[in-house]
Amino acid sequence: MRKAKLLKVFLTIIIITLATFPIIMSNVSWPTFTRDYLFVNALNETGASNTVSSIYLGYRLMDTLGETLVLFVAITGTMSILLNLHKHELESVKTQSTLVPEKRVKNALRTNLVEVVASKLGPIILLFGLYVMLFGHISPGGGFQGGVIFASAIVFLVLATDVKTKITNSHVLERIEAISFISLILITTYVIFFPEGFFSTIDIGSSFLSAGIIILLNIIIGIKVGTSIAVMIIAMMGGKHDN
Amino acid sequence: MIIERVLIFLIFITGFIGLIGVKNIIKKIIGLSLLNSSIVLLFILEASRIGDHAPILVGQEKNIVDPVPQALMLTAIVIGVCVTSLSLAMAVRLYKTTGSLDITIIKERIENES
Amino acid sequence: MNPDSLLLTPIFLPLLAASIVLTSKSFLPVKARRFSEYFGILIGLLMPIIFVLLLYPYVINQGSLFLVIGSYTPKIGIVYKFDSLSLVMIVLTNLLTLPAWIYSRTVGPSQSYFTALILIQSATIAAISMTNDIFNLFVCLEVMGLIAYVLISSKQEKNAVFAAFNYMMYSSSSMVFFLLGSFGLYRLTGSLSYQEITNALLNLSSKELNIALICLLLMIVPILLRVAIMPLSNWLVGAHSKAPHAVSALLSGILIKIPLFVLVRVFSISPILKNLTFPLAYIGSATALIGVIFALSQSDAKKLLAYHSISQIGYIITAWAMALNVGIDTTPGAILLIAALFHTFSHAIFKGLLFLSIGTATDAAESRDVYKIRGVNSILSQKGERFPITMICFLVGALSIMAIPPFNGFFSKTLLTYYLKPSINYTILSIAGVGTVASFIKLSRIFLPNKQIKEQTKEFSKEKFPFSIHLSLIILALLALLTGIFSQNIFELLENMFISTSKRPINKTIFFSQANIIKTLYTVLGGVLLFVIATSKVGSKVLHKLKGIKTDFTDQYFHFAITITLLSYFLFV
Repeated sequence: MRKAKLLKVFLTIIIITLATFPIIMSNVSWPTFTRDYLFVNALNETGASNTVSSIYLGYRLMDTLGETLVLFVAITGTMSILLNLHKHELESVKTQSTLVPEKRVKNALRTNLVEVVASKLGPIILLFGLYVMLFGHISPGGGFQGGVIFASAIVFLVLATDVKTKITNSHVLERIEAISFISLILITTYVIFFPEGFFSTIDIGSSFLSAGIIILLNIIIGIKVGTSIAVMIIAMMGGKHDN
Repeated sequence: MIIERVLIFLIFITGFIGLIGVKNIIKKIIGLSLLNSSIVLLFILEASRIGDHAPILVGQEKNIVDPVPQALMLTAIVIGVCVTSLSLAMAVRLYKTTGSLDITIIKERIENES
Repeated sequence: MNPDSLLLTPIFLPLLAASIVLTSKSFLPVKARRFSEYFGILIGLLMPIIFVLLLYPYVINQGSLFLVIGSYTPKIGIVYKFDSLSLVMIVLTNLLTLPAWIYSRTVGPSQSYFTALILIQSATIAAISMTNDIFNLFVCLEVMGLIAYVLISSKQEKNAVFAAFNYMMYSSSSMVFFLLGSFGLYRLTGSLSYQEITNALLNLSSKELNIALICLLLMIVPILLRVAIMPLSNWLVGAHSKAPHAVSALLSGILIKIPLFVLVRVFSISPILKNLTFPLAYIGSATALIGVIFALSQSDAKKLLAYHSISQIGYIITAWAMALNVGIDTTPGAILLIAALFHTFSHAIFKGLLFLSIGTATDAAESRDVYKIRGVNSILSQKGERFPITMICFLVGALSIMAIPPFNGFFSKTLLTYYLKPSINYTILSIAGVGTVASFIKLSRIFLPNKQIKEQTKEFSKEKFPFSIHLSLIILALLALLTGIFSQNIFELLENMFISTSKRPINKTIFFSQANIIKTLYTVLGGVLLFVIATSKVGSKVLHKLKGIKTDFTDQYFHFAITITLLSYFLFV
């Protein structure tokens, strides 16, 4: 029985190797057409000098929309599974989870180092996250990257117990997330139905605002990603489910 | 060039073996993550062979790398993270209700009860 | 209205509705949330149907509408193509999601995130049905998959979570192979849209072409996994039987068939892929037969239905593969595609009906063992059901799946098998039909009156039976009846869309011809006979052995590898 199973595993791996090896090892030269086209046209067509941004918020906006949906669905699922571990109904009570200090292990060998450093670093990282979002169209970065930094800043603020802020309250975060979701849908609808809309007709010159709609999308995606990942991490850290 | 591809292939196969050959569900999830990361690495690495510069059009350096795979892999990474988070949540749930992380034991315990 | 903007409404209206539902969830009190959910369903599920039907004249006149999202160059932007197939898929999805949603209102999952998820799902299916870009297809399939995992695990029972976990690991690891395939194609052709890839494949050397074919194969097998063709269908039984009833109806009715029709587009990338269609047709009919045998051996009512989903998908795959084999542009191929689509449609209706009615019955009886439950009617009447609507609706579904006139299953199965006639697939599918009858006789026994507790006090309880259950069941039963009665008109509509000549090639006399009626009679008689054999001592022993066959997690991957080997053999040899 065990032997048969080992044989099956072995055979599976051999077959998968045979099927994937030629693709991974193939020595065909990489096509340059797209690169050349984007090098010439990307800045004019989308206004962003970071071509990665111009692809995922311009040429392939539908992928990004799908990606946001994946994130939303996964977080909904994760939250509903994790929160129901405590046998609470999701809908009937107001979900409000913050990490309360009383819940922590008291006798653990620890210092206040994490709390102090986190409370000092949190706002700075928040600012850095906003910077990455805002400058995503001209420098490496963008909505998703900025959003993840934003989320980690919120996690720092959650860890820092002496910070009094509402941004670590998951109820507030969920509201921000919902608003950013609806505005993301509205803006993508607008972009797709009116690709030459009024955002791109305003001539701002070659300032950092030149990318118009891409900046807006970066900010909204950043806030959406940041808040939803923060909500999920707070829930995973065993955030209290308050009623 | 060959050695990089072989290494990526090894990551791929390691992930796959972790996925199918190990019984612990957390290790299976790690295997799936590895599998995903190996494809991401492969895509980015191969696309970067045609240029030397980051795909940002500030100077007039002509040989930038192909930006399309980078944008695609951004999407693939996010999807991979989502799958990982959801499966970890399920793993927590399964551990809390059945008391085991071994997939055969979990299956046995579930089938015995129903 | 501009057809280009009409074409995107089935994607953006549900998304808008979902975001409205979510926003109201975090800002408004509970009552207003309910209202926003009804509003969301109205604009997200029903309005797109109207908008899509407005495109019907364009589809007939122009064949297909192309749209590059954001009007960029089609070489880099994402191309969407709307044709008759997309129209049918969108209407089917939105129409049949509605009864499942109505059912979920009282039985659950009734939280507002469920409404948001099914709205997003409808948007994703619309995008899948239109996209002409392999990476966009990957993203859409992942969204669809994740929604399915979340919905299955939403029941919060550990066996449901385990089924979802199993499905999730299997499906998302196979999607990695899809990603690898798209990597290979992008590397070889420098493009992601179907048309560009097709053009670029013509200029490749034979060695490169072979790699491209492996890439295409690695993309096709994960999609076939979603369709649950036979060696890849292990995940389905757990996932579909453990999910909440409304979700089971959605999964079996719609979600497993959408990827199949997406494959029509993928198969159009290279003409060499035609080599795969013949073996796929045989695998399809084998799936139909083996699925029905396993169904006969099950004791769990919902597992039995899940195996029937596998069996019915086998019918659809057979017709679909033969259609591709002949070529969907030719008239016989188009007829087979119409047959596959119509059977998809009727299967979605009757399987939804069966899952919902059996779900109601097993919930009332608090058991799922078909050998133990008896007298569901009296149990249901104690719960406040005055009139046995659940039983009648179950019977409508059962008669429909057994292919008895005048329900839709009769018309779709007859059409499907008639046009497969000379091949051996016809024979296999006919035998599978006999098995279907037998297993549904077995399942219908749960409605038989219970002899032991016949003298129970017949008092009606004061509690009211939830109206939404009846409403959803009645909608589906009426749909099953009406699509049966008006099947000729539906065929005409489909013929208009799929066949360019003005002739009406489907022979409408086949349904009530003498031969077909005799065949139906024989099928029913054979079914009764098979049922008698199956309940005899020898039969039940064999079936018990079959029930004992178990597959574990690793075996699934073994089946995955076997499928790749088999298909690559047919592709290259």
